[in-house]
Amino acid sequence: MKVRVDPELCVGHGRCYVLAPEVFEADERGLCLIPVAEVPPELEAKARIGEENCPERAIVIED
Amino acid sequence: MDTAAGAAATGNADELPDNPFVLDNETAGEPQPIFKTLLSDAPVMRTDFGVVIARHEDAQFALRNSELFSSDMDAISIGNVRPLIPLQINPPDHVKYRRLLDPLFAPKQVALLEQDVRELTNQLIDEFVDRGECEFNSSVAIPLPCTVFLRLLGLPLEDLDLFLEFKDNIIRAPGETDVEMARVRAATGERIYDYFNHVLDEREVERRDDLLSQFLDAQVDDHKLTREDILDICYLFLLAGLDTVTASLGCMVSYLAQHPEQRRRLVDDPTLVPGAVEELLRWETPVPGVPRVLTRDMEIAGEQLKAGDHITVLLGSANIDETEFPEPDNVDFERPANRHMAFGGGIHRCLGSHLARLELRVALEELHRRIPDYALKPGETPRYTQGIRAVEYLPLVFPAP
Repeated sequence: MKVRVDPELCVGHGRCYVLAPEVFEADERGLCLIPVAEVPPELEAKARIGEENCPERAIVIED
Repeated sequence: MDTAAGAAATGNADELPDNPFVLDNETAGEPQPIFKTLLSDAPVMRTDFGVVIARHEDAQFALRNSELFSSDMDAISIGNVRPLIPLQINPPDHVKYRRLLDPLFAPKQVALLEQDVRELTNQLIDEFVDRGECEFNSSVAIPLPCTVFLRLLGLPLEDLDLFLEFKDNIIRAPGETDVEMARVRAATGERIYDYFNHVLDEREVERRDDLLSQFLDAQVDDHKLTREDILDICYLFLLAGLDTVTASLGCMVSYLAQHPEQRRRLVDDPTLVPGAVEELLRWETPVPGVPRVLTRDMEIAGEQLKAGDHITVLLGSANIDETEFPEPDNVDFERPANRHMAFGGGIHRCLGSHLARLELRVALEELHRRIPDYALKPGETPRYTQGIRAVEYLPLVFPAP
């Protein structure tokens, strides 16, 4: 699984890195950073939690 | 009025009040039935005050397209003489201010306040816990966020009443007519500018460890913020930072007082509190709508909208739209996917959302730890305000320790 964030859509709601800090991090402004785009199988569920709770639909998962 | 009339012909939308947030004093306490009527019968409704957009999809479209749905000074008049920063600033300048302000209110930064907020919450609870009853709005919901705000800005706590007067005069301006209300807002606006001008003069002479001092030394695009910039930020902070958390806390505790089984779940398992905060933000949507003004003609859901139309993006109805939220009436603290819009969205996403979340979580944690068993005072009904849904009267009873 690959996960990425659309920087045009992310406005820093911060749901992803609060709910799934194993996959998502925050930059200085509180916008989403994804340090490792390739999600290991054991973290796939976490990545989906981040995606499903982004109010802007800024997180994109590619299986 | 053609859309409203059309909707009235097909559903019970004729019972909807004619105001921009569609809620009146009767319905502000339980707005969900009205929101459902809008979603099913009039997803885009024209009223005397402008156009109300109800669906999640359309609300998201409006908030994302901030140049089409502008939040500049034409969208709302709240006593200010210049655009509020950053809400009433359009791109491309908007992001310059958010680059400065976002880090100050990012989760990592607001987390430093947690201990303070927790102690303050307990001090407020100490004041009434032995009495076995309290009026929650004046005891906790007002003083908690207002004290946090005054401390952040470095302002004296004695000024609390003055601040409450300022924000109430703007948000719930007294007056019988629009003209009278506008006059109160303008006069109050002048006092707000004067107040902050005076404090900033003091900080110019002597910096302190507070936000106002930080603003005086802050850089935007290689130049310092002007005095007017700082005033325009402070003005918005005052209006956006006090009332909204008060309303959110009131809405949540009112809900929990009336749903003992849900309250019991939080008492038994405090790890549910963060999820409860999100779900109650969705269900209650304390700020039920945000104003915008349309900059071009366009069509939404078959309705023709015109440049200059005043738009209310109805966050409260978007948050119970079943196309986005399965079983929207089920208030589920463990809802797996919760893309609620209680803090708005797009580039104007509530700057204080992370601070608000911290205050709401800590307040609910401490309230349920200290006072697990509370209920509405028998025979009493909580009273909600229209517009922002503050619960201005919330009498609670509980066993004294």
